[in-house]
Amino acid sequence: MKLAGNDMLIQSLINEGVEYIFGYPGGAALHIYDAIFNQKDMQHILVRHEQGATHAADGYARATGKPGVVMLTSGPGATNAITGIATAFMDSIPMIVISGQVQSHLIGTDAFQETDMIGISRPIVKHSFTVDHQESIPKIVKEAFHIATSGRQGPVVIDVPKDLTNPDDLFDYEYPNDVNIRSYNPPVEPEESQIVRVVEALKEAKRPVIYAGGGTIASNASEELRELNNYIKAPVTNTLMGLGVYPGTDKYFLGMLGMHGTYQANMAMHNADLILAVGARFDDRITNTPEKFAPKAKIVHFDVDHSSVSKIIEADIAVFGQVKNSLKQINNKLKSESAHFSDDKYADWHKQIDVWRQEHGLDHDMYKNLDDSLPVSPQAAVQQIYQSSGGKAFVTSDVGQHQMFAAQYYHFDEPRKWINSGGLGTMGFGLPSAMGVKLAYPDEEVICITGEGSIQMCIQELSTCSQYKLPIKIFNINNLALGMVKQWQDMNYDGRHSSISYEDSLPDFSKLAESYGHVGIKITKNSELKSGIEKALSLKDELVFVDIYVDPNEHVYPMLVAPNGSLKDMWLSKGNKT
Amino acid sequence: MIERQLTLIMENKPGALARVVGLFHQRGYNIDSLHVDPIKDLKKYEFIEKELDIKFHENEISKLIIKTTVADSLMRQILRQINKLIEVIAVSDNDSTYLKGILRNENLL
Repeated sequence: MKLAGNDMLIQSLINEGVEYIFGYPGGAALHIYDAIFNQKDMQHILVRHEQGATHAADGYARATGKPGVVMLTSGPGATNAITGIATAFMDSIPMIVISGQVQSHLIGTDAFQETDMIGISRPIVKHSFTVDHQESIPKIVKEAFHIATSGRQGPVVIDVPKDLTNPDDLFDYEYPNDVNIRSYNPPVEPEESQIVRVVEALKEAKRPVIYAGGGTIASNASEELRELNNYIKAPVTNTLMGLGVYPGTDKYFLGMLGMHGTYQANMAMHNADLILAVGARFDDRITNTPEKFAPKAKIVHFDVDHSSVSKIIEADIAVFGQVKNSLKQINNKLKSESAHFSDDKYADWHKQIDVWRQEHGLDHDMYKNLDDSLPVSPQAAVQQIYQSSGGKAFVTSDVGQHQMFAAQYYHFDEPRKWINSGGLGTMGFGLPSAMGVKLAYPDEEVICITGEGSIQMCIQELSTCSQYKLPIKIFNINNLALGMVKQWQDMNYDGRHSSISYEDSLPDFSKLAESYGHVGIKITKNSELKSGIEKALSLKDELVFVDIYVDPNEHVYPMLVAPNGSLKDMWLSKGNKT
Repeated sequence: MIERQLTLIMENKPGALARVVGLFHQRGYNIDSLHVDPIKDLKKYEFIEKELDIKFHENEISKLIIKTTVADSLMRQILRQINKLIEVIAVSDNDSTYLKGILRNENLL
């Protein structure tokens, strides 16, 4: 078959089984968009800003496990996508970003809409390609998908000069069946000797904790993790990125750990004698001061990325390989070792954890017994969303207090249901990522829990939702200020609130949503909370924007004491420290 | 802090060097000196071909020598970060070598 470069590129994506392309056309991408016009296998979703395209593709990837695909033009099209590419990179999300480039002979001449996309994106991609000839397009696309989806996953950029997509130049097209990159060989199977050491460490442990992160989800190892804990029955905590990989309602689950982790999760980590880190990377929001992290614990680290292990916290036992394969091997060993893991092996440890939970655990019943003389609490709002959606929804979030409340009070029993920007902390992520999730799962409930600060960073995508009829439910936890910044200013700057208020400039969000053709609901009182949320969820075919005015003085607790604190040093409420 | 020498064998492709240099800056390491050459005489690297079951051709790969001054504790991290770059085939310091995923406790390069 003979094809031009533009058709080769599109046909290659079709060969990879791509369903959706999220993008925005422009000069350097015109030939490519003509090829998109001439096919029926993929749907192109026209966003309103390229950042929205990357987040939508990212949300699609997080929910499905398949790579998200983004199409951009050169110059501003490419640079607008940078935040979204960095977001995917920090959270190891597979993504293919195709950027149009000016014609080959113009590269380096400061041509119209020319920017060095490969150079600008280099630190935030797993790898990148410049197309040098039409005939290399199929191979490059094949390699890009392979790199994005194997090992530690991540975004891959393909930069395509316009002349190489010219519809008049035809070349032989054959999509390669397999891929072999000689300089790329990520680990898959762990070394058996390390597996044996892990099992021995588990037998000796008296106070183990499983600390599982986003890598466990990326490796689709949720089932294996649950099986592992059927054998050993240890307490489990998840990182912000790992929520859902272990059931949030399970009796062994401690809640999230870290900066705004639960008291029992942080105390368990601090006092553990064995930590099984599974697809987690000891981020600074987890460890607090690394020198004071879990002083009594032996560290076992499962990871596919050599450079993640012993980067922050030295591992005593390192297990390199796909987390799924490593856990499978552990489980095979544990099957025959059940005599060592009786139901009461860690009974004292569980008892201690229950004491911690009783002392300072989160109150999950704040949504009951509400009183209109008090402002709506953001925690109760999230709890009511959890109750009314039956805990089954996909939930995307933005960044700030509402994100932490969602992570604390919405319990995820399944992986890939909680979609948020953990590593980069990108405001504006929530709405476009929800579009990607809704396209992937049109029959599932998709909720975006956001704040009045974050939502305004990509609010233009309300128009995209209208065009493609995406009935997302947006819950705007509106505290009239940049709440998390304000919280830090309250706690560390004697309440000097620098640049966190919009004064009287906020729009009426429910009316704004209506002007895009959606439904708007405003909640200002506790007595409206339940009925408002239930009404929103009952409107199955509508995007509903629920603007919930909450207590502007609320803080997120617990909160780790920093700098120089350990995991046991927490603020538990205003003025109250451990 | 002592000066360390790293040796890399990498694909001789446009942009590959920039990834290595960029990595040093991104991770906060300084480069004291740098030398890069395409490899014509492949004999010395037959062991890599054998080990990884691949075949090199003349001028297809480059040898890169970087001198850097860093704390001992960072060396392992630097090696692992470099080893992770897709176009790097092997990297060594004074006493260890990464041949892609495979770690050897000697300088083979």
